[in-house]
Amino acid sequence: MGEIKEYFKIAFRNLRSRLLRSWLTVLGIIIGVFLIISLLSLSEGLKTTINQQLQSLGGEMVMVMPGSSEDIFSSLMFGGSKLEREDMDAISNAEGVDEVLGFSYSGTIIRYEGESKQAAIGGFSPWKEGLDILSVFQGWTLSDGKWPVRSNEVLIGSQVANKIFSKEVKAGGEITIKGRKFKVAGILNSLGSQQDDSMIYMDMEVYQSLTGDKRGTASYAMVLLQDGFDENTAAENIEEKLGETRKRRVGTEEDDFSVITSEKMGEIAGNILGIIQIVIIGFASIAILVGGIGIANSMFTSVRERTREIGIMKAIGAKNSAILWIFMIEAGIIGVLGGVGGLLLGTVLAEAVGYYAKLNPSFYFTTTIAPWMIVFALAFSFSVGCLAGFFPAKQAAKLKPVEALRRHE
Amino acid sequence: MDPVIKLEDVRKTYQLGKVELEAVRGISLEINPGAFVTIMGPSGSGKSTLLNMIGCLDVPSGGKIFLKGKDVTKMTETQLAQLRGRTIGFIFQEFNLIPNLTALENVTLPMIFQGKSEEERKRRGAELLSSLGLKDRIKHQPAELSGGERQRVAIARAFANDPEVVIADEPTGNLDSTTGKKIMEVLTNFHNKEGKTIVVVTHDPNIAGYSEELVNIKDGQIVKNHVQAQKSVWEK
Repeated sequence: MGEIKEYFKIAFRNLRSRLLRSWLTVLGIIIGVFLIISLLSLSEGLKTTINQQLQSLGGEMVMVMPGSSEDIFSSLMFGGSKLEREDMDAISNAEGVDEVLGFSYSGTIIRYEGESKQAAIGGFSPWKEGLDILSVFQGWTLSDGKWPVRSNEVLIGSQVANKIFSKEVKAGGEITIKGRKFKVAGILNSLGSQQDDSMIYMDMEVYQSLTGDKRGTASYAMVLLQDGFDENTAAENIEEKLGETRKRRVGTEEDDFSVITSEKMGEIAGNILGIIQIVIIGFASIAILVGGIGIANSMFTSVRERTREIGIMKAIGAKNSAILWIFMIEAGIIGVLGGVGGLLLGTVLAEAVGYYAKLNPSFYFTTTIAPWMIVFALAFSFSVGCLAGFFPAKQAAKLKPVEALRRHE
Repeated sequence: MDPVIKLEDVRKTYQLGKVELEAVRGISLEINPGAFVTIMGPSGSGKSTLLNMIGCLDVPSGGKIFLKGKDVTKMTETQLAQLRGRTIGFIFQEFNLIPNLTALENVTLPMIFQGKSEEERKRRGAELLSSLGLKDRIKHQPAELSGGERQRVAIARAFANDPEVVIADEPTGNLDSTTGKKIMEVLTNFHNKEGKTIVVVTHDPNIAGYSEELVNIKDGQIVKNHVQAQKSVWEK
């Protein structure tokens, strides 16, 4: 194996003798690995962030939504069916349920100081108890003002206060929704999602009188479980009760609602992120593959340029395997250098994003570089290097010594 | 004494498009160990083709070549590489040094392929280069050396693995006559001192004067094969 060390020396020297070309080839791999590492670390960070938020939701809350869990996102996005009064009662009657909070929302035009803007209004019932639940279990806090008491008082999200109107909406200010005047009682601190922060919250009765929405009573329900009650058992109980009620009314066996525990929510989010990661790996792999083609290209050129040299080496006793080794090592070195470079750059970016997030708490994000990513990136870039180097190296090894020697560049 | 190189009716045919070119047409030859043989002939006579086959760089289209009693035409590529590395040393007209290696590294390269230790390689390489008057040039790359110096590095490389046969293809072809003379003296010295078999191909009668045996080739066939007294004077 002493020869291998010498082959490494020869390979390094060969790479050095075409320094610019070697670095450009390495750069191709660096970009690919950088893409993989930075995108994966960001998506891994996204996963961590989402999991943290789900954990803050805690085991005490369960969501009930109309529509089956398969198309849960379409029913969230486009409304779809609603939970009726008797559905809400069914949920309340399920064992383990402490309180049910119905919630509806829709978009409308809001006027503030002569300016009209599109925003979302959301109503929930019961209003007073709901606010208590949200402040205790969901961590809703006010940045300004106080919790609303009267029916013409509303709560606004942080984005409504700062972003939507050109003038900042202050606590105590007056906004107009569909010709009716409301007093802004309090302004919420950021709830962690842009959608939630862009909403105006009010009593469900007021909401329904504004929207004329009498058919359904809630777009979805948040369920507070009894202290210490297992969330999965409670979810099953809710499913059972709700199933009976809806079957009686709609007459189908189909589950047209979904009960989502924090665990299930995590699963759904995990699935989506999994798809995102696969897509990312796919695209970044293409980038590395292109880098690999770069290596192959550079190596083929090198074999052509060094044909005579290969002939000389064979004449003085180099076996085909020696030539193969030297060229494979060259390609492998390019791959590994690219891998390490991309890893470093990717780590720097991930750390920078993480650092920025620490300085700006509103930028709710963390980045994670997991050990498997490092292993993956290095192994991938090395194997792409070797694979890309294999065919040129094979070509070099196969050259007939006398023909190679005759070649004049 | 068994011949170190034995050729039996060796032929080499090249296919040039539709035309078949017979470069070597049935050459039989025996070279004894320790001989200094010159193969001479005009350009295109097939002498380099013959030399390449003797050096196992090329395989004949017909006939047999024995090196130390073994039929090389039946060997695999790996066996041939092994044989070239251990038994044969090459000296080329264009020196054929590896440009990005130093003089010492060029000389030690054949020893790497034979798996010799780093210590042994460095010692032997430095020894050979000093004996050829290149002690101060061992760290220089070929581009920093004169033609004569380059050919001396190539000679050192040819002798690196202590081969039994050294083959030289127009070794002075790219050198002026004074340098060429010196190179031939170096080769003669090695031959006299270490008793190596040396086969030189040339079209230059002055070179032929150094050898003990002269083989004349024309149109791929031996026209004259005779022993001559070795001359040590370069005729101008």
